[in-house]
Amino acid sequence: MRLFEYEGKELFSKYGIPVPRSKLANDESQVLAAVEEIGLPFVIKAQVLSGGRGKAGGVVLVRTKDEARREAGRVLALNVGGEPTRALLVEEAAQHGEEMYVSVSLNRGRREFVALASRSGGTEVESRAQGAVEELPVPLEGLRADAASALGTKLGLEGRTSSEFCSILLKLERLSREEECELAEINPLAVHADGTLIALDSKIVLDDNALFRHPEFSQLPPEDPLEGEAAKFGFAFVRLDGNVAVVGNGAGLVLSTLDLVADAGGRAACFLDLGGGAQRERVEAALRLVRGLPSARAILVNIFGGITRTTDVAEGLRAVVSERPMVPVFARISGAEEAEAHALLSDSGVPVFRTAQEAVLAAVRGVSP
Amino acid sequence: MTFEVPEAGDPVVVQGITGRYGSLHAGLMLRYGTNVAAGVTPGKGGQSVEGIPVFDTVKAAVEETGAKASVLFVPAPAILPAVVEAVGAGIRLLVAITEHVPIRDTLAMIRLCEESGARVIGPNTPGIIVPSRRLKLGIMPAPSFLDGGVALFSRSGTLMYEVADALSKSALGQHVALGVGGDPVNCTTMTECLDWAAAVDEVTSVVVVGEIGGDAEERLAEHILATRFSKPVVAYIAGRSAPKEKHMGHAGAIIYGSYGTAESKVAALKRAGASIARTTGEIPALVSPSR
Repeated sequence: MRLFEYEGKELFSKYGIPVPRSKLANDESQVLAAVEEIGLPFVIKAQVLSGGRGKAGGVVLVRTKDEARREAGRVLALNVGGEPTRALLVEEAAQHGEEMYVSVSLNRGRREFVALASRSGGTEVESRAQGAVEELPVPLEGLRADAASALGTKLGLEGRTSSEFCSILLKLERLSREEECELAEINPLAVHADGTLIALDSKIVLDDNALFRHPEFSQLPPEDPLEGEAAKFGFAFVRLDGNVAVVGNGAGLVLSTLDLVADAGGRAACFLDLGGGAQRERVEAALRLVRGLPSARAILVNIFGGITRTTDVAEGLRAVVSERPMVPVFARISGAEEAEAHALLSDSGVPVFRTAQEAVLAAVRGVSP
Repeated sequence: MTFEVPEAGDPVVVQGITGRYGSLHAGLMLRYGTNVAAGVTPGKGGQSVEGIPVFDTVKAAVEETGAKASVLFVPAPAILPAVVEAVGAGIRLLVAITEHVPIRDTLAMIRLCEESGARVIGPNTPGIIVPSRRLKLGIMPAPSFLDGGVALFSRSGTLMYEVADALSKSALGQHVALGVGGDPVNCTTMTECLDWAAAVDEVTSVVVVGEIGGDAEERLAEHILATRFSKPVVAYIAGRSAPKEKHMGHAGAIIYGSYGTAESKVAALKRAGASIARTTGEIPALVSPSR
């Protein structure tokens, strides 16, 4: 679960990481109220989870009350990567020089957490040369102060900046460990003229699987009502932009089906994994869900029956395809009891195949003009 | 570091046996021919499931049966304590079926394995099956698997079943099929599986089913080259057409920027000399080009 910038900064404050004074605003009047509290000039920042916020015009420096009113309305109405602005963060404009980068994240390949730090932070950090980034493994029980301080020395930091960096890195690492983050990132970490540091942005990704230990983080209901519906049934669901809705039992199987659809010249409308042991009711729920995708012109169901009973799947299909409105369904059913499953669908109007390839070709042909 | 797979008839414990999933699969493992000798659920000692005696602790189950292997169906919040308990009781091979395990709990399991020499497969794995020994430690559908010389290693459950089924229908049986798990971090890695396959004479070829996310396949490719692995390797990578920054079902199946793309994995495995299947259907022909 990704946190909004303001939520991340609340965590920063909780752990003693310095952040600019700020106020969360949901409308124009709250932004104007913040003029008194924060003082002009200030920065208005769209609270969205998508990247590319700055380029989309979601961060703006405001010098007057008129500007504040105008920009508040504009940024509130902004969409960043298709995501509407949830709220505005009104933040004091910090005067600073150098922008650094520091994070604690999971390194999957090495199977450990690592601290990464660089003197050159900001929006382009990901495209900078690897050589400028220093890395430090983080033990499960936490980073030691001497290791953090050695990292500061490697970066060439001195005096007050060096000791502040060391302290912030240790606090960020403690935050990452205690709140169970996959990623805790400060970018930029700005350097003031007097050598002190301040976190100008936050990027926090929590470990979804650890949320049961952190009930204070409540998941916002998804923007997409179909995602909400999918979550209710425990389906893994990703909306895509094509016209063939892909449903199957098993994440890898559905993923490979998307590739087959693309290879056949089609485009998938969604990824939906029913999960293991899919019963009739779950199949029905999944079909009713994906038929609600406005872009779907066909539904492709790919079932490899092992523990999942293919006859259950066939009965679910039968029940739903007779409902109206309905888009054409193409099915691949293979595995245990496949002959019975195919027989169940013989008079249903659903073309059933034994291989995924055949079903994909039929579905893609079915949606071509 | 390699690991030992139980022999035919070796006793096996099922932790979390009284749950819906645990009892279903304990029965299926038993009917396949695996010696599920004991089950463990705290507070349910004295009961039985499918005729299998249930104990309160792993220690009691081990004392009674001498089991060295365990299959775990316990819920995610209880998995780390269950693994610690099992290792403490002398279990050496643990198959963690459990899904949704916190990443730091998995890292703690990895460290426990390093310290104790025990081996965890998973979490979020379908398990391991050795058809020649009628040994099934997991949830895979047994009829899809046939004895033979292929070592099948997969990040995905259903794709493992699908590929095993296709191989079996082409008379290409498997010496072993093992799911490393769909999580971002696996206690047993693909490279460790490769070392295992190198050391086992019955394995004549390796099939790898990978997917987008992380760099397990790239590391495997490096390892093939570094160890001069000499058995033929066929690889299939799912997710060529997947969008970036979206979890595609598995927690581990996610692309960030250029990290974790199918192209990167395919290119690395090609460089290492593996044959690449574009679809799962192509795999059997690549395993036996002579057919």
